[in-house]
Amino acid sequence: MSVLIGRREPQTQSQGVEPGYEQTGKRWPSQALCRRPQTAAELAGPIAVQRRLQPVRGDLAGHGAKRAIGQLIHLRARVVDEDGAPVQGAVVEIWHCNAAGKYIHPNDTHDAPPDPNFYGAARLVAGDGGLIELRTIKPGAYPVPDTGGWWRPPHVHFSVWGRVWLSRLVTQMFFPGDPLNEKDPILNAIRDPQARARCIARLAPTENGPENALVYEYQLVVRGRKGTPQLP
Amino acid sequence: MRRLVPTGEMTLGPFFPREFAQGANDLTSVEGKKAAGEAIEITGRVVQADGQPLDNVVLEIWQADAQGRFDNPDFFGWGRAATDQNGIYSFKTIKPGACEGRAPHVNFLVLYSGLMRALHTTMFFDASKDPVLDAVPSAHRGRLIAKREGTVYRFDLRLRGEGETPFFDD
Repeated sequence: MSVLIGRREPQTQSQGVEPGYEQTGKRWPSQALCRRPQTAAELAGPIAVQRRLQPVRGDLAGHGAKRAIGQLIHLRARVVDEDGAPVQGAVVEIWHCNAAGKYIHPNDTHDAPPDPNFYGAARLVAGDGGLIELRTIKPGAYPVPDTGGWWRPPHVHFSVWGRVWLSRLVTQMFFPGDPLNEKDPILNAIRDPQARARCIARLAPTENGPENALVYEYQLVVRGRKGTPQLP
Repeated sequence: MRRLVPTGEMTLGPFFPREFAQGANDLTSVEGKKAAGEAIEITGRVVQADGQPLDNVVLEIWQADAQGRFDNPDFFGWGRAATDQNGIYSFKTIKPGACEGRAPHVNFLVLYSGLMRALHTTMFFDASKDPVLDAVPSAHRGRLIAKREGTVYRFDLRLRGEGETPFFDD
């Protein structure tokens, strides 16, 4: 079978062990990764992951008395493949902390208040044009424990299913203009400046934005091409 | 058309929502339909370089049905599990059949805080000839073969260090 998913490029993908991010040195394999042939298993689905994972919460910001605290934003993200072809039907999981930098997760020990009106997790299915839209609030920055001053810049986590098993993408989206972006070991693991810049959302023109929300646009490029075999 | 560069992968982080991590580790039925085949459990422990078991590691699997097919509407061959405080995960599934040119196998990916990219590996049921197993140095191939105890297959993952699990780049 011909190889249809291109190899990762070291300048546009992390190579595993990252300076300033200590856990990477305990968890990334010390042996070189083995190159394996791509067979039917790697180049088949899963497609329609929503058969196993139900879509939840299209709006994290809420309304009226139930409105989450923070700057209202409207995320408009497009899932495309390496040909730029939209991946309609892609399942996308999104999660982020509240405006004070606190996650809903019980393991988050940061001394910042939870927001009773904010539950920071959504699962969406990309519509026409591979588009997903989420009304939410802008996440805050927070310090990473025991790191001597590493603060995570505001960011949004994405988990995306593309056309095939090898298209799976887990990443983070950043906000333009934040000085914390310059030193973040996770964002800066992407060595190529242009590839790194593409991990930062674009603030769309504010005229006629929906409900006074700032609109951020983003593109998620999953591995694979239009010709990547897909099950009927 | 100019090829777009795939988005840079980044860590899942320590705060992947609990509700997302749970509830998708039983592949023996989908939408109320029970899959045909031999029901098995795949379980194991995930540890890091110092041997410490890892809590809340997310593992996803992708496999063929009992006939070696990926297009069976009554078997959805994808699942997700998370480790507990002892580093233990578990899937209930159907033993996959051999598919074209491949021995029966289950594809795994590992997502976790400190892993900047998903780690891909493959679990095998025995040492049958397989082109992906052949891609691993022969001394390490045994680490990809699950240990059978009845209908339970044990597949431990050591991310780094002595006895490290072979992982793939593709």
